[in-house]
Amino acid sequence: MDELEFRRTLYADPNCTDDVVLAAIADDPKKQEFYKELKQLNKKMQNASQVKVPDDFVHKLIMRQTMQSHKSNKTRHSIQLAMAASVAFVVGMSFTMWQQSNLLDLSKQAIAHVHYEGGYALDAQENFSLQQVNAKLAQFGGEFTEELGHVYYANFCDFEKVRSLHMVMQGENGKVSVFVIPHDDTHNARNSASGKGYKSQAIDVKGASIVVVGEEDANVQKMKEQLKRKIRFSA
Amino acid sequence: MFSRKKNSQASVSSDMANKQKRYEVLVLALHNDIFRYACWLVKNKTVAEDIVQETFLRAWKSLDSLKDEKAAKSWLITILRRENARRFERKRFDLVDIDDVSVIDDQLSNEVEIEHRELRAIMASLSEEYREPLMLQIIFGYSGDEIAQQLNLNKNTVMTRLFRARNQVKEALDKTNDNWGRTNG
Repeated sequence: MDELEFRRTLYADPNCTDDVVLAAIADDPKKQEFYKELKQLNKKMQNASQVKVPDDFVHKLIMRQTMQSHKSNKTRHSIQLAMAASVAFVVGMSFTMWQQSNLLDLSKQAIAHVHYEGGYALDAQENFSLQQVNAKLAQFGGEFTEELGHVYYANFCDFEKVRSLHMVMQGENGKVSVFVIPHDDTHNARNSASGKGYKSQAIDVKGASIVVVGEEDANVQKMKEQLKRKIRFSA
Repeated sequence: MFSRKKNSQASVSSDMANKQKRYEVLVLALHNDIFRYACWLVKNKTVAEDIVQETFLRAWKSLDSLKDEKAAKSWLITILRRENARRFERKRFDLVDIDDVSVIDDQLSNEVEIEHRELRAIMASLSEEYREPLMLQIIFGYSGDEIAQQLNLNKNTVMTRLFRARNQVKEALDKTNDNWGRTNG
């Protein structure tokens, strides 16, 4: 190996482990010196090449990828969650609305009942005593505690498949019809109605709903309050 | 139906955890050298940071294609070089050319610092075809064969370039030393 080739080889790779090169170094002190110098230079270059890496760089590299993969995971999950939530919402809403639309409006139904019945009950001219009325009302576990005035009619009737007490009483301005209807989940007794020349108001008391139907000038409100005060349920 | 779905999801997330683990090991083991190499490649620390981030992002995305962890280093270098080339495609006129590498800071003693700064300036002033194989050798301890493979060059070419690179460094050093001697004497 001539001088030039020797230098070329070591310059190209100061850590060369070629046997020929190593032997040449061992044989020649001058070459040894050259080798040492070159090694030193290489060490310096190595040190000089060690650029300082920013402290947070490794975290940046890891966080960025973690966030990216989490982000894609999270969007998928939140879409699923949003879809589940909206389905639940729609189901809940439609169930509530369906249920409400199916509730029987007692005050409306009572007007229809009176109207349909015509004069059958309204034209009755009997006079029921409090005991007689209470005897019927006892079937629902209730009773009136005070005199009701003139009761022209009192009998059971079928109020949309629910057995109820139908009475016709003397109100302030003429006769009013009164229904006492045992509670039912499908009933809605929290409103009033008017139509076909009648108006009605419904109220829930303990044990039953009371609906008062009168002609348009009748004070059904007052009658309703009176009855509410007078009725008692044992259960 | 639901339980099967759950199982497959569980295995997906455990795959995910594995991938995450692999990635973190890769970053911890190699980010220093990759970053340093990038610095010498582009001669600008900020650009180097960007490129290395892009490199690791791509590495993350295609981590499944890395079958052998031993090949990770050269795999990352390949990605890095591609990212660097991409940078030139994107910004043809925005070439960074900082020869003094003044962005490189250190807290060494003054004398050593001066010597290092000098050496850095010289190494940075080498043309890319000399600088790149030299840095692969110095930073990653690559052999001539490995450099040839990485840069897709003939080994003789690589050895010649390495020789010329060191020769230029040596000459430049001797020159500055002469100058020092002259100005001081």
